[in-house]
Amino acid sequence: MKHHLIAAGAALAIFALGAGTGTADTIRVLNWQGYGTDESWALEAFEEKTGHKVEHEYFNSEQEMLTKLRTNPGAYDVVLINSAFTPTAAKEGLIQPIDTAKIPNVADLTPEMRNNPNLVIGGKTYGVAWVWGATSFAINTEKFDAAPDTIEVLWSEAMADRIGWRDDAVEAVQITAIALGQDINNPSDLDAIREKLRALKPQIRTFWTSENDWNQFMSAGEFDAAIYWSGSASRSATNFGLPVEFVVPKEGAIGWLDGLSVPTDAPNVDAAYEFINWMIDPEFYVKWDTDVGAPASANAKAMAGLPDDAFNRAVLGNPEVASRLKFMGPIEDDMREKMLELWQETKTYFQN
Amino acid sequence: MAASNTALGGAVRTGSSARAIAVLTGPAYLWLTVTVLLPLLAMFYFSFLTEAPIAGRVGELTLEQYRTFLERGFYTTLILRSLKLGATVAFFCFLIGFPCAYILAKTIKGRWREALFLLVIIPFWSNALVRVFSWTMVLRGNGLLERAIDWVVPGAGSLGLMFTYSAVVIGLVHSYLPYMILTCYISLQAIDDDLIEAARSLGAGRITILRRLILPLALPGIVAGAVLIFVPVIGSFMEPRILGGRQGTFIGTIIEDQFTAVFNWPLGAALSFILLACVLVIFAMFAPVLKRAM
Amino acid sequence: MARAGRIYLGLVLVFLYAPIAVMAVMSLNDSQFYALPIKWSLRWYADLAGNQRLIDAGVNSIVVAVITTVIASVLGTAAALAFFRYKFRGKRLLQVLLFPPIAIPWLITGTAMLLFFFWTGIGRGLHAMVLGHVALALPYVIIVVSARLQAFDPDLEAAARSLGAGPWQVVRYVTLPFLAPGVIAAALFAFAVSFDQFVISYFLAVPGVSTLPVEIYTSIRKGFTPEINAISTIVIVASMALLVGVSRFYRFGGDR
Repeated sequence: MKHHLIAAGAALAIFALGAGTGTADTIRVLNWQGYGTDESWALEAFEEKTGHKVEHEYFNSEQEMLTKLRTNPGAYDVVLINSAFTPTAAKEGLIQPIDTAKIPNVADLTPEMRNNPNLVIGGKTYGVAWVWGATSFAINTEKFDAAPDTIEVLWSEAMADRIGWRDDAVEAVQITAIALGQDINNPSDLDAIREKLRALKPQIRTFWTSENDWNQFMSAGEFDAAIYWSGSASRSATNFGLPVEFVVPKEGAIGWLDGLSVPTDAPNVDAAYEFINWMIDPEFYVKWDTDVGAPASANAKAMAGLPDDAFNRAVLGNPEVASRLKFMGPIEDDMREKMLELWQETKTYFQN
Repeated sequence: MAASNTALGGAVRTGSSARAIAVLTGPAYLWLTVTVLLPLLAMFYFSFLTEAPIAGRVGELTLEQYRTFLERGFYTTLILRSLKLGATVAFFCFLIGFPCAYILAKTIKGRWREALFLLVIIPFWSNALVRVFSWTMVLRGNGLLERAIDWVVPGAGSLGLMFTYSAVVIGLVHSYLPYMILTCYISLQAIDDDLIEAARSLGAGRITILRRLILPLALPGIVAGAVLIFVPVIGSFMEPRILGGRQGTFIGTIIEDQFTAVFNWPLGAALSFILLACVLVIFAMFAPVLKRAM
Repeated sequence: MARAGRIYLGLVLVFLYAPIAVMAVMSLNDSQFYALPIKWSLRWYADLAGNQRLIDAGVNSIVVAVITTVIASVLGTAAALAFFRYKFRGKRLLQVLLFPPIAIPWLITGTAMLLFFFWTGIGRGLHAMVLGHVALALPYVIIVVSARLQAFDPDLEAAARSLGAGPWQVVRYVTLPFLAPGVIAAALFAFAVSFDQFVISYFLAVPGVSTLPVEIYTSIRKGFTPEINAISTIVIVASMALLVGVSRFYRFGGDR
């Protein structure tokens, strides 16, 4: 009799243990390649803590991300959306409101970022503020005596056929708008931008579309300076050991805030919340920036965990530099179409 | 008796043969209808809409997409550029591949011929993408080609081949060369050696034999190869993106953009049909040559 | 003259194989960014064994190619037989209709299929790829089998029939065995067309389901690891072996 009781008790205990961890899901994340969510050590730690496995799909542009969401409903659980695009995704019904009560670390996010009007729409949170940074250009430190301080270096004769550029309409137009001093989200003089872009014909050696491209081209010596993102430049230097330095020129740089969202019809919403919680956790972030290289975190506690001389604290944290950032915001549909057409036309002009 | 038993290419029989024809050809053509004809019709319909009627959107009928094409000159520039690329690649494949096929078909005999033929066919099976990517390693600044030249002729300087129109042509010629070699080989192999012997014994020189005997007889193979190469090349986007860099914009890349990034399917559909119309016009222009080749 | 010819042939082969050789050598190079000089290492092959994504893609490619080959060979051979045996009105038209899959750039066929399958709910994925690949392979199969049939001697069938064989027996014991090498060649063609097909598969892939060429393209565009070189080297070595094996039974170079 006693044996039966012990056996039953043991069985019950094992059952309870199993039930406590819940079912192990596999979640699918849609993001840029090499952008934090696919760091293998982070995924291993996540699986150990929660039992969930993570699979990834990648995109090379915000446009592609939106199209993937539109043509694959119910395929993804977490998606990274640049806050400038979150309102569009929400309006189209591609993402669902997030129950932030289920994500404890949200409380530590810097309030201005947590409540960014692009992420919180109609009182509902559509994106959890994750990381922010700048888009400008990065240089090969071995080819420059001193880091340039102006964006005009990209157009200089000395840099003919030595420039790398990203094949993205919005980014191309916005960088040029900064060089001309126009509003990046609503440029006033598209003709001037067209002329300035055309002036790049002798300058650009090649387009890059992924960080991997960028690193390969840089290490092969294809370009000496190229449009790049602050977190990615950090990663190229720290993780890949390339002689890369990011420059915020005096004209300014594009600022952006990336958020993590949950698509409508996501199959594993709770697991998605757990993953987002891990991504904004200081433990993950500090290791990510220190060992690999990352943009700045929207989590104040995480930022405090960085050493004082880290790029994200020393440079981006410097108010003077931060004031030069022009943040991306939503772009009107017909302005976006004009930008797309302008870029296609420019690319055709670049052909010989 | 003879008329009805040699059914091969012989007499027409009604009833059971009609059924046999239907059973034999039906499945194949039904398949082609569902997978090629209907999608093309659907795309034709889409090209007249403002938006793709999917993901909760509604499209309205319009001529806007075609008007965009007419109004923006750069689309025409790109189509012409792609057609030129197709012709260039087909031409170089002919220039390089025809002599190769001739040598293989006529001058090499026995086991060697079979072994060499196999060697030519095998690249068909290697993954096209990795071959193209491998070209970047060969062509890039300080890549294998430049290093090899540097080793032979030190200080030769940079070739500047990577990320150019030429790099795209090289990559495409490399991918499609086996098609031309194969089709020319089949045609050339069918030419009776005795014909060439007879011509030679009548005093014809090499050039004459080539011009008036071999080329005309091999024409079906050459034309087949040209078609098999020209058509895919004008729509290519993968090779231009990987090898072309700043020079890698073609109508293929723009159409692909519409479907995978920009999400303007109606415009992509319209551009596709305009490209298709160009292909049909070209086929119509070359109809006499094509007819002779059949 | 023959000497010059052989040298030329050799040069062309060098041109054809240079990238393949580069790919094989780089698969054994330790550097992640293809830096020279080469440090020999089997690391990428080891990584490949753990790369479930690539392996799944490779398996999908093979499965799709095998199914495509079977379907295309059966449908195509049947159609070729019909063209050869019977004269009927509209035969010319049907033969011409075979050309669209070849005469239309794959980009257009692929995007049309994406559009149509997505819109009508047929959906994308492996089944859609089979639909697309068979359509592409059919014209090739019909052309290759027809070419073989052209060489068929009608007297053989007449002889069999005069010896008392019924129509099905004629087909089974005379026609089909003759056809066999042609069908095998057509099947190999169909397999190659499907296995290496990129464009159609690219537009019909869904998250989590893709084929090897699509996976490789995604890697090149988004984040490349040299495991790609490893699996490609394996594929080409395997296909070399397959072709050499088949060539024992079928004379590729023709009967002379």
